[in-house]
Amino acid sequence: MNLTLRISLILAVILYFICLFILLERKRLILKYALLWLASGIGMIVCIIFPNVVAWISKLFGIVDYFNGLFSVLFFFVIIIMMSLTSIVSKYKEQNRILIQQYGLLEERIRKLENEIDR
Amino acid sequence: MTILIIIPAYNEAENIAKVIESLSDFSYEVQYIVINDCSTDMTENVLRDINANYITLPINLGIGGGVQTGYIYAKENGFDIAIQIDGDGQHDVKYLPDMIKPILEKEADMTIGSRFINNEGFQSSAMRRCGINFLSWLIKICCGIQIKDVTSGFRAVNRRMIEIYAREYAQDYPEPEAIVTATYYNAEIKEVPVEMEDRQGGRSSISSLKAMYYMIKVSLAIIFKRCFDRRKSK
Repeated sequence: MNLTLRISLILAVILYFICLFILLERKRLILKYALLWLASGIGMIVCIIFPNVVAWISKLFGIVDYFNGLFSVLFFFVIIIMMSLTSIVSKYKEQNRILIQQYGLLEERIRKLENEIDR
Repeated sequence: MTILIIIPAYNEAENIAKVIESLSDFSYEVQYIVINDCSTDMTENVLRDINANYITLPINLGIGGGVQTGYIYAKENGFDIAIQIDGDGQHDVKYLPDMIKPILEKEADMTIGSRFINNEGFQSSAMRRCGINFLSWLIKICCGIQIKDVTSGFRAVNRRMIEIYAREYAQDYPEPEAIVTATYYNAEIKEVPVEMEDRQGGRSSISSLKAMYYMIKVSLAIIFKRCFDRRKSK
């Protein structure tokens, strides 16, 4: 990895962290859900500062080209983040269902009570 | 013995009043609850006009979430038996005594109204029957129980199953999965021969385009349940 590429990648990761911290500071991102993003950022920095890590991973998985190894590592982070997002959405869908059902049941009770009062 | 009839309804303004009216022919004393699953037509107005007992969900949950709301209602209000019938008039209430008899006599925890025992009345299209036979075979392999009409939404359950379904009920296309859930709680399931009518109006919730998705989703749900869930003790 040549120096120019390393500097541009470091700048890109710094920008990534700035965006992340702005979102956290404005409370647009809950820390719990930002942990994976932070971990991915740290992983990226490690890969840039110590290119040997990527070379080692590439060799381990039989990836011939260094940059294919780098992209594989980045792709791995993205997949993990997407999986966690799907899991979060599924959880919210389930909680949403419970809320909708309870709302319907309560509305029915209120309607019945109002009818009884009116009589 | 208190009996609740759960009627899920989505855009059933044409049929729902007739379905509710037909319940008066039933000789047992029953209560009913219509679950209006955020219909976009006049269903809620019809229900209000005839002073029906109904729950309106603020967001469309689909048949599973709707029916489960009925089971939660049955659980909270202490009903002993819950019967689910479709809001489209497909299910004839004259079969209700046959449906609840095995439950009253404690021969079954759950009964399913089946079109394919006497093979009378509306039998569905050949393609659908093929799909139903496949799911029936899959359930037999996964759960060791032979149910012919696995997609029938005409069902009756006892108090124990009401409590289970209030807690655990599949959400989209729930009928076959609900059978698997019941077998995992070691429920005794019995099929009762019924005749069904074709829909009286409106549109079915399963279009031909969705059929493929339906088969894949339901088959996977049954297989995953078989792989991941453990049978509960009685």
